[in-house]
Amino acid sequence: MIDPIHQFQLNKIFTIGHIGNQEIVFTTSSAYMLLAVAIIAVMMMAAGRQLVPGRFQSVVELSYEFVANTIRTSAGSHGMTFFPLVFSLFMFIFVSNIVGIIPYTFTISSHIIVTFSLALLVFLTVIIYGFYKNGLKFLKLFVPSGIPVVILPLVVLIEIISFFSRPISHSVRLFANMLAGHVTLKVFASFVTMLGALGFVGKVGALLPLGLTVALTALELMVAFLQAYVFTILTCIYLNDAIHPGH
Amino acid sequence: MARGLRLSSELIAGVLVGAVLGWGFDRLLSTSPFGFIVFFLLGFAAGVLNLVRSAGVAPDRSGR
Repeated sequence: MIDPIHQFQLNKIFTIGHIGNQEIVFTTSSAYMLLAVAIIAVMMMAAGRQLVPGRFQSVVELSYEFVANTIRTSAGSHGMTFFPLVFSLFMFIFVSNIVGIIPYTFTISSHIIVTFSLALLVFLTVIIYGFYKNGLKFLKLFVPSGIPVVILPLVVLIEIISFFSRPISHSVRLFANMLAGHVTLKVFASFVTMLGALGFVGKVGALLPLGLTVALTALELMVAFLQAYVFTILTCIYLNDAIHPGH
Repeated sequence: MARGLRLSSELIAGVLVGAVLGWGFDRLLSTSPFGFIVFFLLGFAAGVLNLVRSAGVAPDRSGR
């Protein structure tokens, strides 16, 4: 049986240095992060600024419009302050997910620590900007209007817990989807080789998982985009709370 | 599958944060186990709130 978890293993490429006794290592994950950034950078640099856009320029303009529209619809026009953050998040997750679908590559968003750091970045941005912009009025986020005073403390406590659970559900959603998708893909693909080893009948039977693997790859392509989009839209919704609390 | 993962992650996150808060509360004030019990239940309530909001059944805060 081919190990479906093996693809998520981190391999050491070289050591950067030490902090205390902890070794700081440049891993495959870091390499693929750099690759994603490099792909985005090349795409943006090669775009050009013609009036009639070329291929690269169309892609770049399309992604700009897409993210800008997402921010405007879910966080209002004031949310465009955060365009650089949201655009970087979307492009980084999207490109790294697409790279991860290519066989033999590594998917960085299949490690929860990566997605959790990204979610924590958004969470801290919301808290810091919320207090910076609204002062103590930001706390109105936890006090829904039109609640009887008797049960208000309970509701506020529940709202606070609900607020703190955001980075967890935000990160787990992306991580779990990528992990589950890649494991499923690997398991079905390993059925092909296992059945193929069983002679003629096995080879005919292997056609079924082969077809499923092709279909799943298409599905994964959609999930890669969809999860990047979901992460972006949730980021916008959370930023909206920082911009207009107590709605 | 995507929808199921989304909804379950909302619920689990709420319960998890409630449990961790309760555990920390107990550690600080040595009120074990009451803080854990209370915050666990509150966390469950928060998880259900998240779940209902994310499923789009309840309005997402008032006025939106």
